[in-house]
Amino acid sequence: MNESSSAPERRVRQGMDYGETEDVNQVHAAIQREKREPRVGLEPLSLWLIAIYGLAIFCGGAYLGRYSGNFSGDGLDPLGGAPRSKKSATGPGGAGPSQELSQADRGKKIFSANCATCHQMSGTGVAGQYPPLAGSEYVNGGTRRLGMIVLKGLQGPLTVKGMQFGTAVMQPWDKTLSDAKIADVLTFIRQGWGNKGGPVVMESIAALRKELASHPDSFTEADLKAVPEDANLPGAEKSAEAPKPAANTAPPPPKG
Amino acid sequence: MNSDVPMKAPETAAIATSAESDVTIHDVEKVERALIDASTRLPVLFFYASAIAWLLLGTLLAGVTSWKLHAPDLLANYSFLTWGRVRPAHMNVMVWGWASMAGIGTAIWLMARLCRTTLRHPLLLIGGGAFWNLGVMLGVGGILAGGSTGYQWLEFPSYASIVLFVAYTLVVSWAVIMFRFRRGDHIYITQWYLLGAFLWFPWIYGAAQIMLFVVPVQGVMQAAVNWWFANNLLFLWFGSIGLGTAYYMIPKVIGRPVYSYHLAAIGFWTYALFASWTGMQRLVDGPFPAWMITASIAATILTIIPVATVGLNHHMTMRGYFGLLRYSPTLRFTVFGAISYTVFSMIGVLISLRSVARYVNFTQASIAYSHMGLYAFFTMVIFGSMYYIVPRLVGREWRYASLIKLHFWSSTYGVGLMVLMLLAAAIAQGSALNDPALTFTEGLAYVPMYMRGRSLSGVLLTVSHCVFAFHFGLMLFGLGRTASVPTFLNPQEEEALEARL
Repeated sequence: MNESSSAPERRVRQGMDYGETEDVNQVHAAIQREKREPRVGLEPLSLWLIAIYGLAIFCGGAYLGRYSGNFSGDGLDPLGGAPRSKKSATGPGGAGPSQELSQADRGKKIFSANCATCHQMSGTGVAGQYPPLAGSEYVNGGTRRLGMIVLKGLQGPLTVKGMQFGTAVMQPWDKTLSDAKIADVLTFIRQGWGNKGGPVVMESIAALRKELASHPDSFTEADLKAVPEDANLPGAEKSAEAPKPAANTAPPPPKG
Repeated sequence: MNSDVPMKAPETAAIATSAESDVTIHDVEKVERALIDASTRLPVLFFYASAIAWLLLGTLLAGVTSWKLHAPDLLANYSFLTWGRVRPAHMNVMVWGWASMAGIGTAIWLMARLCRTTLRHPLLLIGGGAFWNLGVMLGVGGILAGGSTGYQWLEFPSYASIVLFVAYTLVVSWAVIMFRFRRGDHIYITQWYLLGAFLWFPWIYGAAQIMLFVVPVQGVMQAAVNWWFANNLLFLWFGSIGLGTAYYMIPKVIGRPVYSYHLAAIGFWTYALFASWTGMQRLVDGPFPAWMITASIAATILTIIPVATVGLNHHMTMRGYFGLLRYSPTLRFTVFGAISYTVFSMIGVLISLRSVARYVNFTQASIAYSHMGLYAFFTMVIFGSMYYIVPRLVGREWRYASLIKLHFWSSTYGVGLMVLMLLAAAIAQGSALNDPALTFTEGLAYVPMYMRGRSLSGVLLTVSHCVFAFHFGLMLFGLGRTASVPTFLNPQEEEALEARL
């Protein structure tokens, strides 16, 4: 403190503009009563603590050894590709996330993420704005009209189940959802809420998408009426007897 | 409490004994401390005042963030107040504005005291603080304007990060210079931690900046770098400052040496060794080579070693003196923080294990963990240090014991409730996510009720912070008490004890 010792009085006063005396014996009360700066004792290490160290090192090492995936640079499996049965034994719910879902279940997820905002999870829609899907003649009829609506959207007045709709516009989904996803979601709405439609396969949507590629606008009710009510997309009949999972799910289906 | 517990007003006893024994040495020490405190007065108060202002802003942003989770329409019409901007703004205000500035304020004071050297040219340090404020201001403005980078705790746009780094360099060089001019041959434990924090910070911050923005690594590795950074900011920067502060405040207030040098040394070096490996455990089951994540989990398990060591050291130092928690605000906040550190670390180990992470990873558990570290541990320790340091800087005692109590209890209950709510939400959310029959949106339906509980905890914390800011404001404007005894939490009991002794 060579610098400060040259002018201690000034320094002290600088910190003391709060009405205390300058007497060094009466420097601020908090400092007067303060304990010494902390010191360090030299108690030895207890055996218990050493045991804890050993335990931690053992557990850490064992964990690293077991779940390191053989330190392979591209192995995502912590067990290094051990047999499948072993993997599911590592914890409860081991089979959970990879479990195979049915087409309608996949469709349900897509529906809740994209469609439920307007058409509602219950499929009832909103009176006057969003048409219902449950019991709708468009949903239960042929798949062609349905595919047209979802791919290119719909606008203008529309009558569903005898009720008038028309204030809201349905957006085209061809840019957002893949063929497989549209097929899944159509299957879901055609089979949910007591609807009686058959499943829709991805190939049908792909064909329709190609066919409508040059169609720029959303459809209107008139466009839909021009299509026969029970017109199905190609491939629908085939799929009705042998439902085929969409090709984007990697593992082969358990049966035909 | 046992009768052998020395429950006397420690201050009067200290003066009595020192007056009898080596008067001269202690007088010299006191003058020296007065000089040191005078030199650190302006910069430390500047850092504290800025930090508390940021704390209030951060609390407000936290309230908006939390409320939006169960009332999504709130303020949704202003783009700069949408959830995606308010949340990073809240986190960054708290991390860089509140916690870092308050931590630096405490660290400067501790460094000056322990190096037994006055702070030279304190005005330049204030310049560093002003730069820091500017950096945070630019950064938060940038986030609210939509310029967030999208990396956790690094959301500040690059211009703000540069200002912040310049400010940091100014500030830290002062601390290192103080260390260079230290007097006495003894380097106390707190100095290890502070010096460590000051040297580790540019390493983690610089590495993250370079690997994410200057020469970005490819693909998912950015997430790895990001979480390594975020976890180590918590461990090596905030953790070191917090532990260093606790190592000073606990023995200082109770007037007893730290239990063991050996434990302190082991605790420090194993912390440095293992903590820097952590971070990846927060990406369990992410698209990374399994060994990367497992290495971090193993390192997290090994942090049990420093945590147990430091916890035992503090506990043995406190043993027989726990009664003082009834009187000393500093001790009460610091010990709460030190205990929270142990709990925080244990929960960290638990939720990193693959079998547990299967349920809670990528849920609210991560947020619970961050709040335990940054609030229940770090912020509480820093509050404790402020209760100790500010009276020495302004020459006044805290005005109202009742406000300190209110601050302590609303903070304690607030953060406790928050962590419980978030952990409960994590379990509900995690099990819903693991159920293949539920969609993501359906799984989220389990969360809002806990989010309401979390907002309630936010109300408690808001009360706590407003009370503290008001109290600090009184001190800053010279409206504290002028008594020569400190503000004890239970003065009557304390006086009764004093009379008995």
